[in-house]
Amino acid sequence: MRMLLAVALLLALLPFGLPPYAMTLLTEALIMGLFAMSLDLMVGYARLISFGHAAAYGLGAYTCGNILLHTDIPLPFAVLLAGLFSGIVAIGVAWVCTQATGVSFSMLTLAFAQLLYAVAFKWTPVTGASDGLAGIPRSPGPFGVTWFATKSGFYYLTMACLIGGFLFARALVRSPFGAVLRGIRENEAKTLSLGYNTRLYKIAVVAASYMLGGLAGALYAPFAGFANTELLFWLLSGQVLIMVIVGGTGTLVGPILGAVFFLFVQQQLSTYTDSWALFFGVIFIGFVLFAPEGILGLARRWTRAH
Amino acid sequence: MSLLELQGLTKRYGGIVAVNDVTMAVEEGEVRAVIGPNGAGKTSLFHLITGVVKPTVGEIHFGGHRVSAMPAFGRCQLGMSRTFQITALFPEMSARENTRLAAQARDPKRWLPLGGGGVFAEAARRGDAALERLGLTHVAERPAGLLSHGDQRLLEVAMALAQQPRLLLMDEPTQGLSVEETAQAVDVLAGLFAGGGLTVLLVEHDMEVVFRLATKMTVLHRGTVIADGDPDSVKADPVVQDAYLGGYA
Repeated sequence: MRMLLAVALLLALLPFGLPPYAMTLLTEALIMGLFAMSLDLMVGYARLISFGHAAAYGLGAYTCGNILLHTDIPLPFAVLLAGLFSGIVAIGVAWVCTQATGVSFSMLTLAFAQLLYAVAFKWTPVTGASDGLAGIPRSPGPFGVTWFATKSGFYYLTMACLIGGFLFARALVRSPFGAVLRGIRENEAKTLSLGYNTRLYKIAVVAASYMLGGLAGALYAPFAGFANTELLFWLLSGQVLIMVIVGGTGTLVGPILGAVFFLFVQQQLSTYTDSWALFFGVIFIGFVLFAPEGILGLARRWTRAH
Repeated sequence: MSLLELQGLTKRYGGIVAVNDVTMAVEEGEVRAVIGPNGAGKTSLFHLITGVVKPTVGEIHFGGHRVSAMPAFGRCQLGMSRTFQITALFPEMSARENTRLAAQARDPKRWLPLGGGGVFAEAARRGDAALERLGLTHVAERPAGLLSHGDQRLLEVAMALAQQPRLLLMDEPTQGLSVEETAQAVDVLAGLFAGGGLTVLLVEHDMEVVFRLATKMTVLHRGTVIADGDPDSVKADPVVQDAYLGGYA
């Protein structure tokens, strides 16, 4: 708890010391962190490996974009509504995907994300097809407050979403519900035979995961001012899975660090070479082989040794 | 009415009849063993009762409810708890967490997504009591995957007991144990059953174990019940001797 307060304080003070360019990067890192953390709920706590988590992100982004373009709903509410919508859609997705387990489950999540990707290309009035949605505004409010539309105001909104999302996810994994998820992760057949309807628990955790992932996407739309089909593409699904694994699965904090690390390395390497992904691939393989517990695991190992 | 009633239960896999027109009952308070040679249909019968597979023909009633088509977790919620032939645990959790999660399954608030301190406290209390009954308190904090084979089997029984079941179903409780481990496990189980209050249905092929533990027996042969009664009368039954026990009794 003290650690959390310290991090929150540090994040809250950063805008006073950073140039605007770094603020933009930091905001994006926090959005990605929220996105990666949302996937960890599925991957790290219930061993539900999603190859299609971009679906949650894209759903949130397009929903939020449409709300901001076509209504007067204030920015913070638009973001929350879009996250909620993504979570509700996830119930249907999960109902289908949890018919299968293991690799088949992963393939179904990928198939669903690709389906949305195809829809986004065709449904021009809502998605703008290949042009995407451009000029997404940061609408004022509530009560005429325009602060959230400013650079630092938007940063604090993002920070609040990340911290709120983290507290929600942490309460979830520490609850009786979370204990059942751990059971599913370690031995699903046994969990079922103890009398838990494991499928309902899996659907619920996918919904929670999509809700937070949708929240991240919903923040991205007004952050970037646009939403396009790339937000639903499988490449993003793969990248976020890499962030989770590199950060450390089943820790919530680890994937946030993984996202920051990913964006930092991408930022540094891409100034030297267009093939930065190749080098990140090597880093990823290194983690899988030598530090499967991720950045957070390495940090814990290091603090224990010292 | 009996606690568990099977009426005309048949299970066919293609042309093979695994369980053939079985009618039997388990009364409250008895320890009933289902025995029979390999391929007699014991495991199929067990799967039918626990809900792993559905019967081709016939009905299953449990505690007055028709459960023939009910999924496994629904039958658990009515009070059936089971152990597996091959030990099934949560290996990375401590023994305590294993029994706690088992007990939690009987709490109406088991799914609570936030908070839940009360749920955990009550489940831990029941789980600890079950560990105590099986003499596992001294290994409670150890990861289940690191326990000895014998203790793992007993932990699985403790998990079932933590659920305070109306019917405890055990699939070959001494399967895979060494001679010494079997003797120890049977001692613990005999003590447990002697305490009374439990209704047990166990499937077992080790005759020594069966005669130590069971108060009633059902003998299966090629999917059909050929004898039913207390251990002494079953032992003396010429049909059983002929079909199965051979020279044992």
